[in-house]
Amino acid sequence: MMSTHTELTVLPKNLRRRHGGRNLRGGAAPYLFIAPFYLLYALFMIVPVFAAIVLSTTEWVGIGAPTFIGFDNYLDLARDTSFGGALVNSGIYTLIAVIIVVPVSLLVAQGLNAQGLKFRDAFRVAYFVPMVISPIVIALIFSLILDRDYGLLNASLHALFGLPNVDWLGDPTIAKFAIGFVLLWRTVGYLTIFFLAALQNVPKELYEAAALDGAGRWRTFTTVTLPSIRPVAAFVVVTSFISAAQLFDEPYLLTKGGPGESTLSVAMFIFRAAFERQQFGYAAAAGVVLFAVVFIVSQALNRILGIGRDQ
Amino acid sequence: MTITTPAARVRRGLLYATLIALVVVFIAPLVWAISGSFKGRGDIFETPPRLIPDPITGQNYANLLGTQPFFAWFGMSVGTALIATVVSVFVCALAGYGFAKFRFRGRRVLFTIMFSSLSIPFAVILVPLFILVVKSGLSTPWFSLIVPWVAPAFGIFMMQQFIVQSIPDDIIEAARIDGTTEFGTFWRIVLPLLRPSLGALAVWSFLQTYNSFLWPLVLISDQNQYTLPLGLNILFASENRSYDLVLAGAVLASIPTILVFILLRKQLLEGLIAGAVKG
Repeated sequence: MMSTHTELTVLPKNLRRRHGGRNLRGGAAPYLFIAPFYLLYALFMIVPVFAAIVLSTTEWVGIGAPTFIGFDNYLDLARDTSFGGALVNSGIYTLIAVIIVVPVSLLVAQGLNAQGLKFRDAFRVAYFVPMVISPIVIALIFSLILDRDYGLLNASLHALFGLPNVDWLGDPTIAKFAIGFVLLWRTVGYLTIFFLAALQNVPKELYEAAALDGAGRWRTFTTVTLPSIRPVAAFVVVTSFISAAQLFDEPYLLTKGGPGESTLSVAMFIFRAAFERQQFGYAAAAGVVLFAVVFIVSQALNRILGIGRDQ
Repeated sequence: MTITTPAARVRRGLLYATLIALVVVFIAPLVWAISGSFKGRGDIFETPPRLIPDPITGQNYANLLGTQPFFAWFGMSVGTALIATVVSVFVCALAGYGFAKFRFRGRRVLFTIMFSSLSIPFAVILVPLFILVVKSGLSTPWFSLIVPWVAPAFGIFMMQQFIVQSIPDDIIEAARIDGTTEFGTFWRIVLPLLRPSLGALAVWSFLQTYNSFLWPLVLISDQNQYTLPLGLNILFASENRSYDLVLAGAVLASIPTILVFILLRKQLLEGLIAGAVKG
């Protein structure tokens, strides 16, 4: 589930500070404490990242020696309409995540933060439940609910409003948003807990001051709430962006990337190139492009949202 | 502030209505799946769906367990998730302690390297990691399945935060004066104090591995070595779309994570928040 939704983007304060309060030392001890982690980390994270870059300059079908072909894979990717389409689709998923899912989560958190609300914790836990269920299980359930002919959704719409059946997963445009909806359903509760915690941390005096100034709800929200929760908002935005950028489970299970390739994500493109067509070098190059895009956009988001700037 | 005006009371009512409607949105698909798993194949798509199946049947479960190596999948999922959890919690606690309580040469650089990799999508390392694992010859799933989850950068970050917040330097100094070894201090003094936070990281790690799909999908081809998500996927993709078995399997597969969540939800939620909000 959370292979990615928990990335953090701000260095903790105690590391940012040059003169930390600690003066504990222990010779070799600290290195021994961090060694097991870094050993595994180097082997299973750092080595693969560099291997991806090297592999991306080769043509390799999985056996024999890879052939060095320079930047050919990248040139081919640039001409590959299927990859271009996958980039666009993943772009749409990230937009849905950042522009729809994040604001909805903030809205839900605002609701839960209402003064004197009863059952706050029960609501919070109920909304979080989808997060502990396997994305595959969720996708399976939704593929049955969204089924054009038998699905609960069409049946209900038909029974309640007499609407004709909608092909939620078979229409090229609707299918993208159906996947976006499942993403929303799966992650809103998770993101809400971060926003709620941030909202609860906003000093009450700020709201009282705003009320004294006669600020309305919207003004209070933009001048008090938003600035106060900015670091958490930035974390949530970047986190949602990164996990949506590598979306795989939903398109794989709900639509198989289809109809045609209209819901194919970049992660699915990489999967198919490597494990259905044995184009390992090509798949690695697609991975490096994904990495570059994600890195640049998340840096840009950090800039825009002001991470690292101390208030 | 007490609610006095009628307008405020209406607003409050609308708020509760919305929040309850959201509970329905989040829980209804799950209830539908649980209820459907006890219905006959022909009744699963009945409209309107009956909450309590009539008749209630365990046939889907019996068919699933009778025709599929479900317990093998279950064992593979739970087993690998447990191993990954134990390993990752241990190495993250060790390293988090190293970063939280020691100053040493290279500390900032090492932390920054680990930290900046948080934005690397898994799909980027999918292919090289696959080649590494396959070519290393260590192709037993008990090893290969856990590889991506044993050194999570997020875990070390979470641990470091917890230790800074909850373990005073004095305790460690005192242990040192008593002549306890560095590792002894960690093992006997720090770890017990960290127990709630370890629980949070453990749940997080378990969910990560248990729910993963892409990695086992590329790695495992033998049906008897499938994890639960792979097994459910193959049932669903099969010719006759065995959604009756799929629903039963989905319910059974979700029991461990729901149980873990119910038992440790407080630690998990507080832990996640501590990592992100108080950082």
